[in-house]
Amino acid sequence: MNAPAKLLHIPVEHTTLANGLRVVASPDRSAPFVTVGVYYQIGFRLEPRGRSGFAHLFEHMMFQGSENAGKMEHIRLINSSGGTLNGTTNYDITNYFESVPSNALERVLWLEADRMRALKVDDENLRNQRDVVKEEVRVNVMNQPYGGFPWLDLPPVAFRNWPNAHNFYGDFADLDAATLADVQTFFHTYYAPNNAVLLMLGDFEPAEGFALAKQYFENIPPQPKLPLADVSEPAQTEERTGAVDEKLGPLPAIAIGYTLPPRESPDWYVAGILDRVLHGGRAGRVFRKLVLDEQIAVDVSSTADLLDTNGPTQMVTSIYHKPEFTSEGTIAIFDEVIEEIQQKGIALDELDPVKVKFRSDFYSSLEGGMGYSMPRFGLMHYLACFTLFDGDPHRVNTILDGFLAVTPEQVQAFARKYLVARNRAVVVRRPVAPGGAR
Amino acid sequence: MTSSTTSSALRTQPPALGPESPVAWPQRTVRTLSNGLQVVLVESRNFPKISAQLYFRSGNAVVAHSAPGLAEMTATVVRLGTATRPSRLIEEDLRRMGASLGTQAGADSSAISATGLAEFSSGILELMADLARHASFPEDEFERERRQRLEELRIDRTTPGFLASERFRKVLFGAHPYAVVAPTEEQIAAFTRDQLAEFYRKHYVPAESVLVVVGDFSADAMLAEIEKIFGAWNAPKPDVPAFPAPPQQSGRRVYLVHMPGTVQTQVLLGNLSITRRDPDWFSLVLANSIFGGAFHSRLVINIREQKGYTYSPHSGVNALRRQGYFTVRAAVRNDVVAATLTEMFYEMDRMRSLPVTAEELDSARSYITGVFSLGVATQDGLLGQLSTVYLDQLPEGYLENYRDKIRALTAADVLAAARRHFDSANAQIVIVGDRAQVGEQAALFGPVETFDAQGARLA
Repeated sequence: MNAPAKLLHIPVEHTTLANGLRVVASPDRSAPFVTVGVYYQIGFRLEPRGRSGFAHLFEHMMFQGSENAGKMEHIRLINSSGGTLNGTTNYDITNYFESVPSNALERVLWLEADRMRALKVDDENLRNQRDVVKEEVRVNVMNQPYGGFPWLDLPPVAFRNWPNAHNFYGDFADLDAATLADVQTFFHTYYAPNNAVLLMLGDFEPAEGFALAKQYFENIPPQPKLPLADVSEPAQTEERTGAVDEKLGPLPAIAIGYTLPPRESPDWYVAGILDRVLHGGRAGRVFRKLVLDEQIAVDVSSTADLLDTNGPTQMVTSIYHKPEFTSEGTIAIFDEVIEEIQQKGIALDELDPVKVKFRSDFYSSLEGGMGYSMPRFGLMHYLACFTLFDGDPHRVNTILDGFLAVTPEQVQAFARKYLVARNRAVVVRRPVAPGGAR
Repeated sequence: MTSSTTSSALRTQPPALGPESPVAWPQRTVRTLSNGLQVVLVESRNFPKISAQLYFRSGNAVVAHSAPGLAEMTATVVRLGTATRPSRLIEEDLRRMGASLGTQAGADSSAISATGLAEFSSGILELMADLARHASFPEDEFERERRQRLEELRIDRTTPGFLASERFRKVLFGAHPYAVVAPTEEQIAAFTRDQLAEFYRKHYVPAESVLVVVGDFSADAMLAEIEKIFGAWNAPKPDVPAFPAPPQQSGRRVYLVHMPGTVQTQVLLGNLSITRRDPDWFSLVLANSIFGGAFHSRLVINIREQKGYTYSPHSGVNALRRQGYFTVRAAVRNDVVAATLTEMFYEMDRMRSLPVTAEELDSARSYITGVFSLGVATQDGLLGQLSTVYLDQLPEGYLENYRDKIRALTAADVLAAARRHFDSANAQIVIVGDRAQVGEQAALFGPVETFDAQGARLA
């Protein structure tokens, strides 16, 4: 009963309000829920110098009260409507989102407009959330084995320009130094309708959604002088390396990051496919070599934030290896995998299945809803990135074409050009804890 | 979808909710094949994918007294070879079909799950059936995985959340198999290939299994296909041992897991509770939501939003198949461990002493029914909800009646549930942190026993 291959087509409509707010609608009437998001084009890359971690601390402040919805009111109104909400801070975006029964769409838009218009927070709120954020950093980084590995370890080694190279979760001294004035300045600088996109997905009529968006958002004043930021990196000429103490975990861990070509360039698509050749699960070449064949590593994983970043980013291999092997020796075996693809390239009978899996995984990301508390979160996330970074949410329906067109020759050429020492950074986590000794 | 009733763009009050849309749980095709395999199918055609879960109603609990963790180790090795497919071919077949595979076991069940492109439905189900019926347990693959499991366990023993759960389950469940969260290094070292194969032969059988498939297919055609693929599979029902009862607790006790130098302390407390089949289940879920199960809950407002002690406070009702348990947890600064426990007990006792307000009740009923119903909106959600219903053999109409059951509850029901199930006087308390920093605070709440991260008792 294998059905013929079906290509997915996502319905997308979009408009821009007079104040510059972009509005994207993707209706789907199959279940009575809507997911709503507001994405601001500001992430931790552009937080102020001397204020590491500020973009994320600020994200917490967006839940502390706006003009007409005081502290906990936003959360109460969403939860009591039968919905869930959250926010996240990323490299180039910060997002706020809700999934609610569709009869609460207007309420959600009112709430999001209220906090886009005016943040109403005080020193007590800031002190409170600074404490909360410190516990967040402790639970996710300082009190976890391999906490922050590799996402906090690599940037300071790999990059030279502060926006790309600092501690994104924040040094505690910088968090302590943040003031209420910083909060309001950041808000007025970046949290403007012309620096954001509003997304609505699910059970609603786009015309009605657009009308409500206009009603609640259009008279929020734009920011006439959005800052221009330079996140470019100087050319790298040799391999960069670093070491970080692992205070809890018993195994050495290695992160190897190769800097990727710019978004939407021809090579960028090749990076997406080659990443899957190397790292696509247990069939990926690196996993097969290091975990299955040589049995040096316990686990291998990777990240390549292609679709949701808009600045220097890396394809990162994370390797946790057994203590009886050296990190240097492990890297040498990893290098053999890279050399093999540089020298011998890749056959179609390997590349074609990788593309099938790539397509399937893309659909899964679109459907993915953070467990299932946030239906269509993945679709919303990509629509936001295509709108903010590429100016076209319809890219969601064509983006696969670029990846599926990658040829074996391109893969080999990419490996020769980009997977080289002068384009990479390597960080080793070395266990120092007594628990690490056997 | 609501229509706007105001013309003022700068309104200061939130818009009222529009009329509610009914939530329709999708039609299900449910059949039991002649070999006993129960098949549950739901069409969900937004994405050209299928997701399938094949469950066996035997997990780590049935072997907890002979070989703890054996079900999990068996599941790990099940995917690594069949009579006709070596491990590498399995992985390549998966990739060719755009599929991901998982094999895992918990306390109550073992599972083979896969998701992939609908155009390869048959191939994906055939591969699942091959793993369910013809796994070959290659010795070399097993030895490699055994070593991996040892290393994972060593990492777990440096993870505060794991150490808290492990000690808590030991304390709460005593001789009951749910006491075991993970095997020891010695137990992992003692597993044999034959033990894995034996567990597989006994427990991977159609008579105690459920196959749930959600996705882009026609249910009739899918059912016919499944009969073809799984119909000829036969094996007897396994014997499942009776489990000893968990201990009765009397009075609060504190179990401190000492991790020297930690910059934060994990607090986990709670008591034995009920399963989804208990008549109190719905009122307990509601009480938990008001207490600490939602962002807008008393515990979160208190120790996060007012006091800033923690990032992620949470309470939950954990429904294992034979016995549930109630937990309250938070990772807090070292100097507020006692203050956190005081607030946790204060909020538990408040739930037990006074009825919740009408506003809290109303808000929580909407929240619980809304979030539960979100399950209809994704393939993963449907799969999760259906799996719970059929694996736990919940009554017909459980999904459909959930909203009405929650909505019928009163403040008196919540009060009664809190009194019965938030056992504050006999709560067991686990603290994972540096005893030099938190030991005195812990001792304020009951007699303290101290352990190291390996589980050895410390003087």
